[in-house]
Amino acid sequence: MSRRPAKGDYIETDTGNKVSRKAVLVGTQNIMLGGKTVIQPEVMIRGDLVRTAQAQPPSGGSAAPPNTTAVAIGRYCFLARTVLLRPPGRIYKGVFTYMPLRIGDHVFIGQGTVVQAASIGNHVYIGKGCVINEFAIIKDYVKVLDGTIVPANMVIPSFSIVAGKPGRVVGELPDGAHDEFELRDLYKTVGNNPQPAAA
Amino acid sequence: MSLSTPYTYIQCPCSDQTVLSSGNALSDPEEDERTFDPKAPRSNYSLYPLEYLLYCEDCQQIRCPRCVTEESVTYYCPNCLFEVPSSNLRSEGNRCTRSCYQCPVCIGPLQVGAIQPTTDANLLPTQYQTNPTGGPYALFCQYCNWTSTEIGIEFDRPSGIYNQLSKINNGGKPKLTLRDVKDRRKDNPDEPPVPDDQVDADLQFAHLKAFYQSRLSETNTSIRGLPLHDGLGFSSPAALTRIMSLYTGRGHQGRLQQGPADIMREALGTNDGLKIANLDESKEIKKLINGGWDATASLEQRKEQTEPIRFEDQLRPIAYLLRSKRSKRCPACRHIISKPEAKVTSTRFKIRLFAKSYIPTITIRPLNPTATPAPVTYRPMVQEEAPLKPHQPYHFVVTFKNPLFDNIKVTLASPNATPGRFSSRVTVLCPQFEVDANTDMWDDALKDDEKDRSRKADEGPEVGKIWEKGRNWVSIVLEVIPASLRIDQQPKKGNEKIDTSPLKSGEDILEIPMFVRMEWEADTQADMDGPASKDKEAREKRELAYWCVLGVGRISQE
Repeated sequence: MSRRPAKGDYIETDTGNKVSRKAVLVGTQNIMLGGKTVIQPEVMIRGDLVRTAQAQPPSGGSAAPPNTTAVAIGRYCFLARTVLLRPPGRIYKGVFTYMPLRIGDHVFIGQGTVVQAASIGNHVYIGKGCVINEFAIIKDYVKVLDGTIVPANMVIPSFSIVAGKPGRVVGELPDGAHDEFELRDLYKTVGNNPQPAAA
Repeated sequence: MSLSTPYTYIQCPCSDQTVLSSGNALSDPEEDERTFDPKAPRSNYSLYPLEYLLYCEDCQQIRCPRCVTEESVTYYCPNCLFEVPSSNLRSEGNRCTRSCYQCPVCIGPLQVGAIQPTTDANLLPTQYQTNPTGGPYALFCQYCNWTSTEIGIEFDRPSGIYNQLSKINNGGKPKLTLRDVKDRRKDNPDEPPVPDDQVDADLQFAHLKAFYQSRLSETNTSIRGLPLHDGLGFSSPAALTRIMSLYTGRGHQGRLQQGPADIMREALGTNDGLKIANLDESKEIKKLINGGWDATASLEQRKEQTEPIRFEDQLRPIAYLLRSKRSKRCPACRHIISKPEAKVTSTRFKIRLFAKSYIPTITIRPLNPTATPAPVTYRPMVQEEAPLKPHQPYHFVVTFKNPLFDNIKVTLASPNATPGRFSSRVTVLCPQFEVDANTDMWDDALKDDEKDRSRKADEGPEVGKIWEKGRNWVSIVLEVIPASLRIDQQPKKGNEKIDTSPLKSGEDILEIPMFVRMEWEADTQADMDGPASKDKEAREKRELAYWCVLGVGRISQE
């Protein structure tokens, strides 16, 4: 009898995603992972909250299948423990519908943070214990400090440092800090065969 | 800047007074003897993490945010991300004139919505549709549920809020504008000017502006200047000479051939923009008695308002302040050292000379970490290191990573004892070493770190030897014996009086000043000119020296 190798804590996909077995992904068919994304235990992604009201196709032919992506995540994202990703919802043409939540590349989301944004750009760092409320838009190169509550519909321009309750832009990112958002090294420290955390 | 240790800060040479006065610090023998004190009150202003620093290639010197000169490239609204041309900026001010507003109570963004539900009564206020027949509209804050109806402001249309708001006072009454006043005067020339309590800051400013414009054009046609309100601003030399001649009219009379009436009439009435201060505050006091504390606006709220106000019902929505993208110039040679692309949404740079790509990155970590690494599923949590025990030697690994494509020779110097009241002992075990060039990234991937990892773990650090070495990095060991933080245990130095005041904040953090001198041979700039100079193969010797501060850790207070 061949013994199967012991299961690791993570499911590692062909595209390099490392998804903890203890993460809760609802509606997986509506969740898109770009690859090399780490999902830590107790993370919840609500892929079931999919857009219900479909935008009417301009021409009569409805050959294109309806877009059912609820959560789209880019490459090298890192979702720390107990993060909740929840697509935002609102009334659109008289009906309540959810809208997709889009996350770019190299996005770090800290422990215990709830994200209901409409979109998060590339190279974004969100600290722990934050709430990103519905339809917030976070552009590229933004740092959200721990414990921030970003109000609904807020737009955060690039190179901002955001903090406070409610969140407001408290500073500008120094020019040289841009490659600090790279999450390649952090990606390597997690998984079934992790490297030691970088010094 | 967080105080989590360990950290490295680098001193920008701009704060060094001696460099400014003598021109060359190295020529002064006394200068070399001086040690940099990271705890000195002045040091706060000159120490920066590496990523904040820029580098001027022409001066071959570090530049910090404090010494560079900035120039605006683009102005834009941080909410709607629309670029505002600088001509609009002059005429309409530095706030967004679209419909971008912040809540005056909590500073959150405001949303336009209809007040009366049009289709479904169960909807939340912010989710009303922008039905063209629906209305009136108001601004809603989704964070604190403030609405502009609380200050009696409603809008007819959901767009063009800026124009609508500039015509309504709190309470819904139309705002008196300069045009209204002029029309009124035209219809009825004998009417007395507007009473002072109806003149708000905007109207007063409009009056003042009109008044001074007319004054200037009357009296100073001879000075041949542009009107004050537009054009060059105060910093341009033309405007400056004009202002100087305005204020020192008599002194410059020789130069100004046609002597104008050099005394300008000041504002005399309401129509000139004069507003007498209202010292009768009985109305406010009455309001305070009735409304109490809750009716007043907080200091933070008042700070954001453009007009001086006291009460919550006087708060007005705050138009978003514009933000800018700025390029940075070297203060000495005026070369641009950082220039972002003008487009608002672009995050790319046309020019950026970061110190990070010219001077080594210095990282520090304990040789024998006391904290256990975080379990994989909890990463990237970082375990705090235990505080350092006094009088006990600690070893730290300091890693220098070379960003240049040339080998660099690094020489370190650090005082044996850290400056300050609690002087810890510091020994750099290997103060001189060479770091290899930053070659192709793939070399690193192929060789990985196997190169010098052969060192055995139980082998202790040796004096004069580097600890570890990689493609473009070198680690050395630093030995530290932390001082005791107890006031009564301080060694007596001669007749010096010992400062026995209690521990100040930050004094328990062990910071080591270190002087870093790097030398390298670079290709001369000349060979960029063309193939003709290629054969020269001239190599230029360069050096750069600076102070940095290594924040090692906290000393335990026992």
